[in-house]
Amino acid sequence: MGVADHCKDTFLELQRKKTHRYVIFKIDEKRKEVVVDKTGGAAESYDDFMASLPENDCRYAIYDFDFVTDENCQKSKIFFIAWSPSVSRIRAKMLYATSKDRFRRELDGIHYEIQATDPTELDLEVLRDRAH
Amino acid sequence: MAELSETYACAPSTERGRGILISGDPKTNSIVYTNGRSVIIRRLDAPLEASIYGEHAYQATVARFSPNGEWVASADVSGTVRIWGRHGDRVLKNEFRVLSGRIDDLQWSPDGLRIVASGDGKGKSFVRAFMWDSGTNVGEFDGHSRRVLSCAFKPTRPFRIVTCGEDFLVNFYEGPPFKFKLSQREHSNFVNCVRFSPDGTKFISVSSDKKGIIYDGKTGEKIGELSMEDGHKGSIYAVSWSTDSKQVLTVSADKTAKIWEIMEDGNGKVKRTLASPGSGGLDDMLVGCLWQNDHLVTVSLGGMINIYSASHPDKTPISFSGHMKSITALACTLQSGEKVILSSSYDGVIIRWIQSIGYGGRLVRKDNTQIKCFAAVEEELVTAGFDNKVWRIPLNGDQCGNAEPVDVGSQPKDLNLAVQIPALALVSTDSEVIMLRGLQVVSTIKLGYGATASTISPNGSEAIVGGQDGKLHIYSIDGDSLKEEAVLDKHRGSITVIRYSPDASMFASADANREAVVWDCVSREVKLKNMLYHTARINCLAWSPDSRLIATGSLDTCVIIYEVDKPASSRITIKGAHLGGVYGLTFSDENSVVSAGEDACVRVWRLVQ
Repeated sequence: MGVADHCKDTFLELQRKKTHRYVIFKIDEKRKEVVVDKTGGAAESYDDFMASLPENDCRYAIYDFDFVTDENCQKSKIFFIAWSPSVSRIRAKMLYATSKDRFRRELDGIHYEIQATDPTELDLEVLRDRAH
Repeated sequence: MAELSETYACAPSTERGRGILISGDPKTNSIVYTNGRSVIIRRLDAPLEASIYGEHAYQATVARFSPNGEWVASADVSGTVRIWGRHGDRVLKNEFRVLSGRIDDLQWSPDGLRIVASGDGKGKSFVRAFMWDSGTNVGEFDGHSRRVLSCAFKPTRPFRIVTCGEDFLVNFYEGPPFKFKLSQREHSNFVNCVRFSPDGTKFISVSSDKKGIIYDGKTGEKIGELSMEDGHKGSIYAVSWSTDSKQVLTVSADKTAKIWEIMEDGNGKVKRTLASPGSGGLDDMLVGCLWQNDHLVTVSLGGMINIYSASHPDKTPISFSGHMKSITALACTLQSGEKVILSSSYDGVIIRWIQSIGYGGRLVRKDNTQIKCFAAVEEELVTAGFDNKVWRIPLNGDQCGNAEPVDVGSQPKDLNLAVQIPALALVSTDSEVIMLRGLQVVSTIKLGYGATASTISPNGSEAIVGGQDGKLHIYSIDGDSLKEEAVLDKHRGSITVIRYSPDASMFASADANREAVVWDCVSREVKLKNMLYHTARINCLAWSPDSRLIATGSLDTCVIIYEVDKPASSRITIKGAHLGGVYGLTFSDENSVVSAGEDACVRVWRLVQ
């Protein structure tokens, strides 16, 4: 399973230049590699991100989460989300699960990882709890 | 946000043939007792405020406040004593494994430094006294060969401990460190309770041989007994002294409580007999008592708590009760214009609750069959139990009329009434659906699948049956027959409950796989999904009267309230609503949710926007 070059580039853009709020990746079975599926502008919200994830298919995603800590400090953490809904096909789940490690190693600088199998596990509360 | 507005607490759990020991705190006028794994603290002047402690891992047996009122020591059947703070977070101070079997009685020393616990030691020690903060033993307690049913600590110095048990003995220990002093064998049957008078000069033991014997507090010698004239005619289960040490209250299996006057020579004479206000059945046997300030509290086998006034014993007592076993069904209905909440537990007890007042009486039924599910409309109650019958019971106030049974062939799994036509009822069993009009079985339809839940629309035109495979089958009701219209397949677990909204435009279904879905009736499309926030099977579901909110209750003890027009993620969660799981839910008005569960309590929550 390969990783397309522009995946790493898009990730660096999110990390350094903060051009995107989120990036969604999918596995292109024909070319056997991970490609960028969709990116969201910096102004988009978490709900837009959740709406962009398909209900019946798996994806990988990166989300840049901004929050204010208890000490009134503005912080930003990058979340890697392995989206594998339980209603998706077993083949898809297996494919994404086995390739996840290889893909993650390419993305250097992720703070937290979340594995979500239904929309309730992707709640903003979950991200907030993990970040604190 | 939801806040707890009222708790209708459970009654103390009782057992035939044994007394129970309740205790209290005179300063705050509260009593404490146990039911299941919970310890319940109630204030006698505000019975709607009950606080429940549910941290025991085993069934709790007895609990006592410390002399300064700050701590509570509670014990359970595994022989563990937990000492926790009474206020705030109930922070656990200490936990000791005191005995190897169940603990039957527990008492603090008057300075709050030592605790004595007695019970069933399974051959090893039956009684242990220890320091409250370190758990170190403060004495050797031999002398008993059978279960020790009660123990008492002398409230004044010099300290003495007295214990009594199933070996008919009353043992007296001096200390600290406590050592056996003497043993009295005056009784000829189990000695159920032993208590020191508050001034420490005397102690009394009561027994199943209907006698009560008074001993000297310092030496342990017998000085007198309760007179047999006008005495109890059944086993005496508990005794409690008045604060002035001149009177005692005893309760007995002969369904009466007696106030005795203890004279200077140590003999007791009956001053007054308090008959219980019940109907005189088995449930009226009195098993526990407490004399606190001016209140005489008696507890009956059926879980009824009666509070008499000591200065005016002729006044009718305040009675209240609760469920003793886990509640299986809950409904809110109008009765003679008043909104009433009915809850039933599986042992067949149906209790009426009135909001802001609390206990509204127990429905007196002519046949006490067990109840699995019930549906209530004004003036009528339909119940189904573990026999193959469905009973229709007309209600007048808190009396039930004659219940009429209908045999439905096999065990009903779910029961529903068409709210607008109460005569029409739908009963689903494992493989069939039965339609009832009044008491007639008008049709029995065999299903090809295992049915686990069912419902009928308020106007009686449509019925939905949910199966074990998670499919919802929608039927239209045409006269007396059902015609299958559609099958909806979204759930991933067997369906546990289906309910129509009060305005009949939507219905909601929930399954054992923790998911709930709201559907539109006409288009049969999903209206609200992703209601997956529970972590265990969903047991019950309720719609608010304006069809705007939907509440789900689950085995994971949480109640979650969703708004139909908003996404499922904006929800209100009530965590820990009922220890053991939530089994019944209903809305009493637009903003109040009533829930009931395994801990035998009913709670009313107010939704604050």
